Amino acid sequence: MISRLFGFITVIFGVLVLTFLLIHLVPGDPVEVMLGESASMADREALREQLGLNQPLIHQFGTYLNKLAHGDLGQSIQTKTPIVDLFKTRYPASVQLALLSMLIGLFVGVPLGVYAALKAGRWQDVVVTVVSVRLSAMPVFWLGPILMLVFAVWLDWLPVSGMDEPTAIILPALTLGFGLSAILTRMTRTSLLEVLNEDFIRTARAKGLSERTVILRHALRAALLPIVTIVGLQMGSLLAGTVITETIFSWDGIGRLLVESIEKRDYPVTQACVLTVSLSYVVINFLTDIVYRMVDPRMRQA
Amino acid sequence: MANWIKKIVLSILVFWVVGVVVGRLLGLQGNEIDLSHVLASPSWQHWFGADDLGRDIFSRILRGVEVSFVVALCVTVVTMTVGVTIGLLAGFYGGKLDKVLMQITDIFLAFPGILLAIAFAAVLGPGIVNLMIALCLTGWVSYARLTRAQTLSLRNRQHVLASESLGAKPLRLMRYHIFPLLLSVLIVEATYSVASIMIAEASLSFLGLGIQAPNASWGAMLRDAVRYMLVAPHYVLLVGASLMSLILAINLGGDYLRDKLDIASSMNEN
Repeated sequence: MISRLFGFITVIFGVLVLTFLLIHLVPGDPVEVMLGESASMADREALREQLGLNQPLIHQFGTYLNKLAHGDLGQSIQTKTPIVDLFKTRYPASVQLALLSMLIGLFVGVPLGVYAALKAGRWQDVVVTVVSVRLSAMPVFWLGPILMLVFAVWLDWLPVSGMDEPTAIILPALTLGFGLSAILTRMTRTSLLEVLNEDFIRTARAKGLSERTVILRHALRAALLPIVTIVGLQMGSLLAGTVITETIFSWDGIGRLLVESIEKRDYPVTQACVLTVSLSYVVINFLTDIVYRMVDPRMRQA
Repeated sequence: MANWIKKIVLSILVFWVVGVVVGRLLGLQGNEIDLSHVLASPSWQHWFGADDLGRDIFSRILRGVEVSFVVALCVTVVTMTVGVTIGLLAGFYGGKLDKVLMQITDIFLAFPGILLAIAFAAVLGPGIVNLMIALCLTGWVSYARLTRAQTLSLRNRQHVLASESLGAKPLRLMRYHIFPLLLSVLIVEATYSVASIMIAEASLSFLGLGIQAPNASWGAMLRDAVRYMLVAPHYVLLVGASLMSLILAINLGGDYLRDKLDIASSMNEN
């Protein structure tokens, strides 16, 4: 556990260093890239001063950490608003989208996985497995437009994009949840098949329990353990997957903010977005690990 | 794998390869603007229709295939070389070196998916070279992990220990006794990674960070296609379907290689 914690801290530190260095990777003078060549000397000096680019690198990193510790993510160059204020609406929007996608993934993936496992080797299993394996490779930037075309344009059931109507979240969430449900289907199937061979399942059957109780109470409970890990690990990729999905559906979350900041060369915002998403990812992974240990008694000694 | 799947996969791959080569020979650039055919539907003249500037979509897809395949190949070669070297060193020597190298890979793994590539591409500025650098900076990690895990188990195999006791130097052990046994796993991994890099390239180009106009790329085409979805739905459907067919074929090819090279069983015989 201690070594886990140590690893966690080093990774967080590494993420901080890497995102800090991002702005220094800009070829040439970052200030000139951000302000454009026509900016006056005074403006450039002011921005350089504001970003602390005149200081030695170590000193800059110290200031960066100090500001972060005080909840200061810096300021947008374009709008001059503190980035923390931008995040107050953007971050919850992304989390909302990610959570709903996760729910869709779970509600589609787990039952399908159970179905495939129960029909193992028959044609239903083959269809579910092949479809889920290969459709999970479907990139969001194609699936998104197709869903949009079918449900928003042709059928006109849902809004095309934006966040004005409460139903607007459905299409982006489906886009993200689709790939996830495919992964969960596969995981549930494999995990359940493994469990079904265990002795305690045979015992449960021998006791005369109904097949339904055996599957739902005994097998599925044990089989869902690895799913916890997958859900945690996928939560992070979901946050990253939101970048393109949010752009397609004009969903005002962190991902879209990241893309907008890149287009406007507003690097402090870019930096803050990358940092926030990565830190969320690291923290979620760490928590998943802990939860997994708590849920699985066998892991407690390890 | 069933025979008919093999045939379909092969014919998709052959179709795109022949298409790209023939397109090259005919000098199809897909950059000729023809304003009388703006967003035209598929026809004999334009198989997949024309885009918002009247350019032939099929020619542009062929160029897109070529560009993204070249990008994927270059990135795979670079990331594999770097990743395998790091993984071999970490797995072979173990100890402190292993700890440090794995801590570094952990940090890179801490960035979710494509986010780090987006960040690198954003600060480096748009363009195909920067796109490749961004993908290389993030792509080596999986090879390093894979190679390390394999090397750890191969390190104490009898033929390696025998050679070591006969006085073989570490470099020789790695080069002749461990690396050849890694090859089959690496080939399969590389096949899958070509497909995923093509998707990553398209994602970055979709966000405007990759290949720049007027040159064709899948991501940029999809972005335009989404914009004109209402008037020309064939654009987004055909570009996406082409991309998907190639990605699927490459992934299924990976499955085939995995079965053929019998990766699972060779991993278990330690």
